[in-house]
Amino acid sequence: MDMLDYMQGKKLLDKYGIKSVESKYVHSYQEAVGFAGRDSIAIKAISGRAIHKSKAGLVVLDVKGADEIQVAYRKLAERAVKFAPYKLLAQKMSKNGVEVIIGGNTDKQFGKMLLVGLGGIYVETLKDTALRMCPIEKYDAQEMLAQLKTNSIVTHNGAATDMLVDLLLRINKMFVSSSIQEFDFNPVIVRENDYEIVDIRILK
Amino acid sequence: MIELGTSESLKAKKKTRAEIPKNLEPMLKPKSVAIIGASRVPGKVGNVILQNYLSAGYSGELYPVNKNADEVLGIRAYRSILDIKQQIDLAVIAIPALGVPEVLEECGKKKVKSAIVVSGGFAEVGEIVLQEKIIEIAKKHNIAMLGPNCLGVMDTRSRVDTLFLPSYKISKPQIGGVSFVSQSGAIGSTVLDVVSGEGFGLSKFISYGNAAYIDEVDILNYLMHDDETKVIVLYIEGIKRGKEFVEIARKITKVKPVVVLKAGRTSAGSSAAHSHTAALAGNYEVYEAIFRQFGFTIAEDISDMIYYAKIFDAEIEPKGNRIAVVTNGGGLGVITADDIGSSRYLKMSAFSVETRRALKSAMPGIVNIANPLDLAGDADDKRYESALTAIGKDAETDMILAIVLFQTPGADSKVAAELIKLKDSLEKPMVVISIGAEYTEMHKKMMESAGLPVYDSPEAAVKSFEALLRYAEYRSRFEK
Repeated sequence: MDMLDYMQGKKLLDKYGIKSVESKYVHSYQEAVGFAGRDSIAIKAISGRAIHKSKAGLVVLDVKGADEIQVAYRKLAERAVKFAPYKLLAQKMSKNGVEVIIGGNTDKQFGKMLLVGLGGIYVETLKDTALRMCPIEKYDAQEMLAQLKTNSIVTHNGAATDMLVDLLLRINKMFVSSSIQEFDFNPVIVRENDYEIVDIRILK
Repeated sequence: MIELGTSESLKAKKKTRAEIPKNLEPMLKPKSVAIIGASRVPGKVGNVILQNYLSAGYSGELYPVNKNADEVLGIRAYRSILDIKQQIDLAVIAIPALGVPEVLEECGKKKVKSAIVVSGGFAEVGEIVLQEKIIEIAKKHNIAMLGPNCLGVMDTRSRVDTLFLPSYKISKPQIGGVSFVSQSGAIGSTVLDVVSGEGFGLSKFISYGNAAYIDEVDILNYLMHDDETKVIVLYIEGIKRGKEFVEIARKITKVKPVVVLKAGRTSAGSSAAHSHTAALAGNYEVYEAIFRQFGFTIAEDISDMIYYAKIFDAEIEPKGNRIAVVTNGGGLGVITADDIGSSRYLKMSAFSVETRRALKSAMPGIVNIANPLDLAGDADDKRYESALTAIGKDAETDMILAIVLFQTPGADSKVAAELIKLKDSLEKPMVVISIGAEYTEMHKKMMESAGLPVYDSPEAAVKSFEALLRYAEYRSRFEK
């Protein structure tokens, strides 16, 4: 299995109407400053050799203005050397929300499986996830969310539930109609009327 | 592994059921049975099987086959199955593994329709080649073969019983609508023994062991069409044909409920996973997902299996999730209300004004009109009757949990008889909770044999109501 390039993954998501945070590869700190404009950004070092970017110190969050960005950029580039080859990705900071994981895996018996659960740092500690075989229907998506113990955290309200059901169905469509074997969208930042995929990891 | 892929199941679809080679009918409803390895030595597997056939009152023809004997247990025996002139529907093979291929080949020549290989000593101990050999023979001769390494089958109606368990060691269940399928023989016989003490009866028991030829997909396919089976209970360790299993799972729960217990919950996911998702979607999780997706009721242990089988066997049609609790023990009423209150699927009902009025006039002053309704320790059959009749008409209640503690001064056989009577006259489904020893057990049996499910804890009753509701909800999707 090979990892799909981040920006190619983002493009694929766009095609299915799946929203992800504004991102760009940067090759110098000036380029990062230009991308940020007045906003806060995150910079991540992307390497096929590091699954846990944050654990490996390959993520800098919430930097703003030329000075801050320059310091962060240099620090990250230094740390990333031992994971070479790597690329540096600048992303607009996402507003606060609940971190959700949506992922896919290919089971050798049952084929493509879709997963949703409380994401971010809680994925491994709480392991509160729901799984279904693809293709899923609307009912399955609703049941997956209802099944979560953290359902009330993940979905906030009825509108967020509908939004996530729609998102799961779009991701399901993308998954079944592609050669993707495995993927993690973690975190997906979910707010009351809005969501944004912040990290994309796709294996083909 | 032998490939029994889609092409074969597609071919099977075009045939009528009687023509499908893996049809279980001749195995469960045989007109003639040959027991190969029917020993004269008491306690030997082949001897116990023959003995069980005799004591179960099987009415078809029985042919013991024994290389060295002319007679076993008073019945004429044959040296080989080929010496029998009549048609054989089922051959039960209980001889050492190495001799099985030859005997199975003879069964093929004899055009035996089905075979159960109870012998162990095949793939489960690494003898894969030997197992492949018997699969090949079964396929070649179109023998519906169960096993090897299994207990075989029991059918309470045709009185077929290939289980090699001495009858004094295990109680046999009564005739009923629950069919129990178990990959493991040990779990199978334990559950059978437990079921025999419950009020619901058994239709079929199928222990399929190594699943070399007939596997869970074939068995589910048979039971889906079997009119004698109302509820299917399944214990599995693994599934061999994922795609075909999904195909049958999708269909079967639209027809009848399936309760499943899957072993291996704690097996670790792939440690070398490339993603969080792969690490979280381990073997058990995937099975669980498939079961949920297709409306199976997941049991977490053997007790759950029994609870769920019982409620499904009662054929209750739930109309909603609002529960009324009637009790002669205040404490247990509160505990039950707690269990309902913390359920994600059930809630306590709030009695309507009319119901409250009716209860007020029918109950003595000591009874506080509320849900749970505490009838007090001196409640007798009459008090249960008036309370349940009023609640039976309550527009705000969907189902009733009646708690009867038989230790109290008022509760006796008349209360049990009253509940049995009310079961049919009430417009709402009712189950009973009774906790206690011999005196209670006796009344539990009374009520259960009349078709009124009795549970021995609030938790069990609440879980069962949940299972019932969730399955009804699943099915309602397809009825719209």
